[in-house]
Amino acid sequence: MARAPIGLKLRERRKALGVTQTALAAKVGVSPSYLNLIESEKRNIGGSLLKRLAGELGIRMEELDGAADRRLIDDLGEIATSPTFQNLKVSPQSASELVGRHPDWARALTVLYRTYMDRDQTVIALADRLNQDPFLAAAVHRMLTNVSAIRSASEILESIPDIEPDQRERFHSILLTESDQLSSVAEGLAAFFDKGVAPTRSISPNEEVDDFLQEHQSYFPELESAADALSASLQLEEHSVISTLSELIEQRYGVTISQSAKGSHLNGPSQGPNEAVSNDNRLILSDAVPGPTRRFVLARAAAELALAEPIKEIVDKAGVLTTGEARRRATRVLSSYCAAAMLLPYDRFLEQAISLRYDIERLRHSFDVSLEQICHRLITLRKPGAEGIPLAFMRVDPSGYVSKRYTLPGLPIPRYGGACPLWPVYRAFQTPGVVNCSLAAFPNNDRFLFIACAVEKGASAFGQHRPLLSIMLACEAIYADQTVYGGSLNFAAKDQALAVGPTCRLCTREDCAHRQEDLIVAT
Amino acid sequence: MATKVLIAEDEKNIVESLSFILKREGYEVSAIFDGGLVLDSLKSSPPDIVILDVMLPQVNGFEILKQLRGTPQIAKLPVIVITAKGQAQDRSTAANLGADVFMSKPFSNKDIVAEVRRLTTV
Repeated sequence: MARAPIGLKLRERRKALGVTQTALAAKVGVSPSYLNLIESEKRNIGGSLLKRLAGELGIRMEELDGAADRRLIDDLGEIATSPTFQNLKVSPQSASELVGRHPDWARALTVLYRTYMDRDQTVIALADRLNQDPFLAAAVHRMLTNVSAIRSASEILESIPDIEPDQRERFHSILLTESDQLSSVAEGLAAFFDKGVAPTRSISPNEEVDDFLQEHQSYFPELESAADALSASLQLEEHSVISTLSELIEQRYGVTISQSAKGSHLNGPSQGPNEAVSNDNRLILSDAVPGPTRRFVLARAAAELALAEPIKEIVDKAGVLTTGEARRRATRVLSSYCAAAMLLPYDRFLEQAISLRYDIERLRHSFDVSLEQICHRLITLRKPGAEGIPLAFMRVDPSGYVSKRYTLPGLPIPRYGGACPLWPVYRAFQTPGVVNCSLAAFPNNDRFLFIACAVEKGASAFGQHRPLLSIMLACEAIYADQTVYGGSLNFAAKDQALAVGPTCRLCTREDCAHRQEDLIVAT
Repeated sequence: MATKVLIAEDEKNIVESLSFILKREGYEVSAIFDGGLVLDSLKSSPPDIVILDVMLPQVNGFEILKQLRGTPQIAKLPVIVITAKGQAQDRSTAANLGADVFMSKPFSNKDIVAEVRRLTTV
């Protein structure tokens, strides 16, 4: 728990009263140097000495050790760790000093941050509303349907002069009914836009990278060719991936590969497959990570070194990547893309995926990579003329934070936590390592096959926290029979599909027992 | 014998106009408003061509098309997919599932009659 900055408060008050440290120390019966330690927060203080100091300075005791201050310090500590201030490297420890010296500014900062977060959430909600709003989608659909009926009836009236009077009357009636409905839809739309909804776009680096991948449909032909060429030049064979790639990295690029002591990386920020070649040309591999991850890390390091140019070319051309951080992350993602292309060559992987009916577990064993790498590679199978099933991808941690997403039309994967709690991506945490699949029906009758599995990410050892992530693939129900998962689901029984929604605030299933938030859109 | 057209569309006014215009052209027209009933109807009395809306209640047009193409007795039926969802992805889904023609709403009577004629004329 945060400690209230009593010493700083005493110092501020003493200075405000124009009392010297020596004079105050004498009055309360301590040495000036001891008072200095108290004021510098280097000594805890309490009991009768604190009462004497408070009395001399005219401060109420509750002002000195108030819970409000500790809350304020905790709030500031949280603000300091916000990604918004990542580059400022604000130290959470300095919060106590700020509260002690400038409590008003500290409070102002927390109010400002809270207001900013509220606005941010509103912006996200409005952006979601515009992009995924069921009301807007339904309104556009309704308008096109009305216009279609009007067009058809008016063409009949115009082009058939000998139409029977009762028929003529009937088509006039259709025109009237449909145009009346069209007016209502138009009024509804006008009212919707009157609410001041404006298109917004988030600017976080992760989202820019998501947009970048979405723009390329997660497929980069130049990198496929470059990775194939590199594999061919190295004569990369499945049984000798580690030795071949290590040789390339060490001998051609002078990078030293070293092993960290067992478990030494488990609590560090670079656990698992996050290792990269450092500026001093070192690549440290934790020996606690599983074999497939080591292969992948080496392949990615090889791509970072050998395919830097084609990767940079793509990143430089991407207008959607507006910040250095977004470009850095995109470079990283593309290095991983190349690693996947080397370990899971496109044509062979597609052939296996089709032959194994997209069974992600069998594919994993077949290529000796992780489940997540298999799922990632599956969404990249978009080569024109040699495409796999169109798949969406989502990765969440147990708190619901969405760390990766790749969407499909009609499947609104939220940028931030809080998709429908019924999605199997959440249920998968209950049975780590087990593949869950469900046929899910959305309120607009769109149906998707969801395939989810919670996997251990990175390394773990006895006594260590097991970092779990849940990964989900999704495809339209019409593709389900091409997968091994389609066979176990009853597609004919329409009522047996799991009734899900997008997120609660956009879901029109008002009577859903799992609702966590109110609907924010018109129904 | 007249060529049989089945319209699977839940918008009654659209069905009425399409039926009128197709009947005037000499076609025998029937209609179904519920997606869940389309396949049974196609199997029990197959028409010569289907005009299939995508956004149908119960079972959507894409799912019907997929099952239709997988049912030997009706697999070769010509199908015109009509939809108010005009996205490129829907167009490509329709093509991948074997739609003969994909038309976005609002379409003209002339165009749809021309497509029906083209697809049913040997």
